[in-house]
Amino acid sequence: MKKRILIIEDEKYLSFLLTKSLIEEGFEVEEVTLGEAGLKKMKEQQFDLVLLDLLLPGIDGFKVLTEMKKDPKLTSLPVIIVSNLGQKDDIERAKNLGATEYFIKANVSLSEIVDKIKNILKPSL
Amino acid sequence: MFREVERKLINPNQFLVIINSLTDGLMVFDSENRLLLSNKKIEDFFGVKNEEILGKKIEEFSQFPLLKNLFFLLGREIKEVWKKELEVSFNLILETSVSPIFIDSNTKGKLVILHDITREKTIDKIKSEFITIASHQLRTPISAVRWTLEKLLEEELGKLTDNQKKIIQEGIISCQRMTQVLNIFLDTARIEEGRYLRKFSLCDLEKVVEEVIKSYQEAIQKKEIKLEFQVLTPKLPKVKIDLEPITLVIQNLLDNAIRYTTNGGIVAIHLKSTKKEIVFSIRDTGIGIKEEEREYIFKKFFRGSNALRINPEGNGLNLFIAKNIIEAHGGKIWFETEKEGTVFYFTLPLK
Repeated sequence: MKKRILIIEDEKYLSFLLTKSLIEEGFEVEEVTLGEAGLKKMKEQQFDLVLLDLLLPGIDGFKVLTEMKKDPKLTSLPVIIVSNLGQKDDIERAKNLGATEYFIKANVSLSEIVDKIKNILKPSL
Repeated sequence: MFREVERKLINPNQFLVIINSLTDGLMVFDSENRLLLSNKKIEDFFGVKNEEILGKKIEEFSQFPLLKNLFFLLGREIKEVWKKELEVSFNLILETSVSPIFIDSNTKGKLVILHDITREKTIDKIKSEFITIASHQLRTPISAVRWTLEKLLEEELGKLTDNQKKIIQEGIISCQRMTQVLNIFLDTARIEEGRYLRKFSLCDLEKVVEEVIKSYQEAIQKKEIKLEFQVLTPKLPKVKIDLEPITLVIQNLLDNAIRYTTNGGIVAIHLKSTKKEIVFSIRDTGIGIKEEEREYIFKKFFRGSNALRINPEGNGLNLFIAKNIIEAHGGKIWFETEKEGTVFYFTLPLK
C-alpha cells in the first residue's frame, strides 16, 4: 500500500513542486493550504507523514503542532517542517512541539526533503 | 552695538523666554544634585509642573511616574553621560547628555540636555521592519525558483544537454547567493532592533576558530594561502559568548582576509588572553585600507575602494555586523594597517 503524505502549505506552487516530487517517488499526496483544513484531514483520514509550513494564514504551523499533541491519534504522526523561518528560536519551538525534522525553505533542496521522507518512512526491518 | 546685544541677552526674563522656547529639555542641578532650573519642555516630556520639581533632589524624582526613569539612568550622583537613550514611555525616547557646568565661580553643577529622538527611532524601526518583511517575502519565490531549477536538473522533465545543465547550475548558485544576501539583511535588521544575542554559554574560542578555519579549507587551498593559527596563551580560558554570532564574526573576518589577500599570501590568526579579556587578531597580506577610508570601515553598506575593485558584489555589511556583535558582548573591535596588509582585532571580556 502506498504511504500517504499530507502537505500543509499556503504557497500553491511550492506545494505543487513538493507533490510532484513525492508522487514520482510513489507516495500518495493530499494538499491543503490552511492549518484548519490540515487538522481536519488528519482526523478524518489516515496519513503516514505531514509536511507543514509554519507561516500560514489563520491557524499557523505552531498551533497545528500544538493541536496535534492533544489528539492521541496524531501524537506519533511524524511532522516535517518546511518553513521560511530560520531563527534558532523558531526551530527549537517547533521541535519542542514535536516536529520530527526542520527544514528552512531557502536552504533545502527538494531532493533533500524527499530523501528525508523516504528515510523516515522506510519499512522497518 | 555688540555691547547692547549683550546687555539685552543678560536680561533674566529674556533668558527664560529663550530657554523655554528650546525644543530640547534642559535641567540644571546644583552641587547637591538639587534641581535649580528646568525649562518648559521638561513639563511636556515628563507630565509634571516645574514648580512641583524645582528644588527637589534627583532621587526624589522616583515619586514621579515618568521622571523616575531619568533618575534610574543618571543615579543619585548624576553620572556624566553622552547621548544615552532614555525611554520615557513607549512613544517618547530622549537622548540624554550630562555635562558639568559652573553655576558661579565656585559652584559646580550639572547640565542635563534631553533631545527628543522618538521620530528617528520610529523611522529606524519601520525601516528595520521593512527589511525583515521584504526579506521574508522574497524567500518564498527564491525557494520556488531554486526548486524549479533543481527539478529541471534532475532531468525528469526531459533530457538536457551539458550546456543547458551548466546554465541551470549557475541559476541555482545565484539563488543560493540571493538567499545569503537576504539572510545578511535579516541579521542586520535583527542587530539594529537589538534582538540578536540570546543564548550565552561558556565556549572554547580556540575550537570555534578551528571550526571556522576548517570550513574555509577549500578557499584557502584554492588561493594557495598560507594560514597560521596560534594560541599564544597556554590554557586559554573559556569565555561566555553567544556562539553563533561570534562564529559569524570570525567567519566574516577570515572571509575578508582570504578574499582580499592575493594568491600565495599569508593569513595569521592569533588568540591570547589577559586577565580581563581574550584578544583575537587576524593579520593578512592583503590590499589594505586606504587612509581616507579608515573611519568608515565599520559603517553600514560602506565598501573600501580597494575592496570594491576586487569584489564588486560585496554588501558592505559584514564588518558592520561584526562590530555590533562584538560590542553587544562588551568587547572592542578595531584594525591596524601595516605596510603590507591589515590586522583586525577584537576582544571579548572575561567576566
